[in-house]
Amino acid sequence: MNPTGQRATLAPDLDSETGAVAVLAVLAGDEAYGFPLSAVREILVPPPLTEVPRAPEHFLGVITVRGQIITLIDLPKMLHLEVEQTEPYGRVLLVDNGDELIGVAVDRVIQVYRMEPNQIEYASAMGAELSEYVVGVGRVPSASPTDSEDMLILIDPVSLLGE
Amino acid sequence: MSDPRDNVQQEFLAEAQELVEALSRDLLLLDEAHHGNQRIDPALINEIFRSVHTLKGIAGMFGYKHVGAVAHALEDLLDDLRLGRTPVGSQLLDVLFDSVERFQRLLALDDPQSPDEDPGVQAYIAAIRSIGAEREPEEGDPLDKYAIEPAVLSVLTEYEEHRLRACIREGLKLYRLRAAFDLTAIDDSIETLRDVARDDAEIVTYLPSMEGGNEDTIELVVLLASRVPEEDLKARFEGRYGTIEALEERTHLPTLPPRLTSIPSAAVSTGPHPEEDPSQASLRSAANSVRVDIRKLDHLMNVVGELALVRSAVNRIVDRFKSESMHRQSLMDLDRIGRGFERQLSELRTGILDVRMVPLGQVFNKLARIVRQAARERDKQVRLVVTGANTEVDKLIVEELTDPLMHLVRNAIDHGIEPADARNRVAKPSEGTLALNAYHKGSNVVIEVEDDGGGMNAHQLREAAVSRGLLSADASHELTRQEMLNLVFLPGLTTSPEITDLSGRGVGMDVVKTNILRLGGMISIASEQGSGTKITVTLPITLAIIRALIVTVASRTFALPITAVREAIPYVPEDVRTIQGREVITLRGETLPICDLARLFGFRGPSREEGRFVVVGSMGNRELGFVVDELIGQDDVIIKALGKSLSSVRGFAGATDLGDQKVALVLDAPALFTEHFDGPDALRALETHP
Repeated sequence: MNPTGQRATLAPDLDSETGAVAVLAVLAGDEAYGFPLSAVREILVPPPLTEVPRAPEHFLGVITVRGQIITLIDLPKMLHLEVEQTEPYGRVLLVDNGDELIGVAVDRVIQVYRMEPNQIEYASAMGAELSEYVVGVGRVPSASPTDSEDMLILIDPVSLLGE
Repeated sequence: MSDPRDNVQQEFLAEAQELVEALSRDLLLLDEAHHGNQRIDPALINEIFRSVHTLKGIAGMFGYKHVGAVAHALEDLLDDLRLGRTPVGSQLLDVLFDSVERFQRLLALDDPQSPDEDPGVQAYIAAIRSIGAEREPEEGDPLDKYAIEPAVLSVLTEYEEHRLRACIREGLKLYRLRAAFDLTAIDDSIETLRDVARDDAEIVTYLPSMEGGNEDTIELVVLLASRVPEEDLKARFEGRYGTIEALEERTHLPTLPPRLTSIPSAAVSTGPHPEEDPSQASLRSAANSVRVDIRKLDHLMNVVGELALVRSAVNRIVDRFKSESMHRQSLMDLDRIGRGFERQLSELRTGILDVRMVPLGQVFNKLARIVRQAARERDKQVRLVVTGANTEVDKLIVEELTDPLMHLVRNAIDHGIEPADARNRVAKPSEGTLALNAYHKGSNVVIEVEDDGGGMNAHQLREAAVSRGLLSADASHELTRQEMLNLVFLPGLTTSPEITDLSGRGVGMDVVKTNILRLGGMISIASEQGSGTKITVTLPITLAIIRALIVTVASRTFALPITAVREAIPYVPEDVRTIQGREVITLRGETLPICDLARLFGFRGPSREEGRFVVVGSMGNRELGFVVDELIGQDDVIIKALGKSLSSVRGFAGATDLGDQKVALVLDAPALFTEHFDGPDALRALETHP
């Protein structure tokens, strides 16, 4: 599925000079998440969904993209976050986890950030109980005037259903 | 379908298409012979003439005016060609090749009978006319050299007469062979004779002799032209066929009629004639095959489905009678007959699937035309080598395969094979080779598109991917060479102008890959810089396409492989009993466990109370009824695997695209059986001990 066979993690995205990394920020549930841009293959308007009975709760079902059957996941559920999902999701990210393409349902795409190393706190350094799919937390300038900065939950695509 | 005029129109189009394809194939052979400076087989030119002649005839009948007009002009030109009045040349070949495209365009018109003048057609006809007409001057009739019986000469067709003159002019000697042939196998015998003669003798004509022969055999007089000494011909033919003698040469000029009358062309097509294509195999196979509209096969398949329903209706009646034991013997007989019927039905189904298989040669012929066209456009010399054209795959796959393969072939010529001067610089022959190979491998068919061109530059691909932002510079350095080559399948990469100008393959490899994946196939690249590229496409022969019963359960659509389905019966809730906590119904006096799919899958949505069905599945000696809401019908579906992430979910063999982005899950009957009879844990146990 993965045409490059490469491992997409945050690390290879680092600019070797400055250590900066391109991150696609999306909104899902109440939280903002960041995906390494290199792992995002496409952003789609949600195609019709076919649910898969008996699949774990975080699987929304399957969609077809140019003839390929793709699994669609619910990100907050995957991270065991209690979110009251009222609105239907607005976009689907096709994310390469190094093994296959995974569809990730999100509410909307915010923007691409170029994050410097000092904007990222790695999970290992935080000592907090974070999901295995989370690399860490990134701080970006806030879009709203009331906050000085927003937090992005940075996702590790390889652990996202990989292996 | 119902409008008979429509049907006739379809018939015409199918036949015209076939003629144009035959024309295209023969032109390629002609082109090859011309460029290779080989002797051009007169029978080949004659075959081309006949295709155009037939096309002209049917186009006239169906009011395809422009097709008819073009065919008519070509026919004149080809007539001159086969009668030796016009030589084969590259200008002539160009005009002939143009005709293939032109016919296809004209046949595709919505309103073929439109009386409007088409300037393109007029110009093309003028181009055809400008080529013909230069006739070789006649310098004494070579036929005068021989004393041929007027009885023989009078029945020669114009074409045979031309060949006879040409052979004499080339200095061949004429011989008369008298041989007896078995009447029942005469066609085959003549083909064999032609084979024996092929290399150094041409069979000009043959006629039944007036003497010899009996009720089982017929004696033919065969007129041969050859430059082989008489003794050699004697050695070759006399033992097997009969007497051979040289025709007497005249010492003085006779008073022959200045022009021989040719027999009406209608007579040409009766019986085997020497002018018919000597590539007997293709001729014979054409005669033994029929052209079938794929929809007719679909219809037959539906009939088979209906028959299965009739069979289950009969079963129900048998059931009703089972309570009356007086008919016991008859019922057993009926049951036995029923089983036989089912076996035949299943064979019928297999047979129809088999008919759907077509040779890949159909696609390869189209590709050959692309190769020629692309090579000319790019001014490159390309030799096409095809193996395995007889390899068969499902018609559906063949159709879906044409575009991707066309793309690969074009790429190989556009970007793979180098211009002659560049090839010479690296000590390669000026002529590049493009190979199309097809073969079966297990239950797959493998198609290779291989060129001996410059190969792909993996590093340039990588740089292009990085510059397009598809890959970070760091990540790119970790790629193996193969991974770099695979970058060509990335959607963003191939549409980039940078890469098409590089040695990489052109636009749309991602589309090619998507198309192949859609068919349940795989595609891979091997490329050595400097020595060439090989693209390998592996496809299922039919396995990915299965016949399925489409059903709905709580408004969701599912596909159940028909091989697991015995019959479908109405579901009567009152008949359901519970034995040891399991629901069963009684079918033909036997207990049938049932499984409500809505409940199994935990659908809470509204499930219908009435009008539901039990689809009776059978695996080995076990039967299980699946309760569903609606039966939508039967369909051929292409199964695709669910992603790895869903591999832990049991009960589904995959998913299928129903079109319009709708997906139906394909039920995994064996897994559902195991789960129902052995419990969900059995599946997991199976997994650890496969």
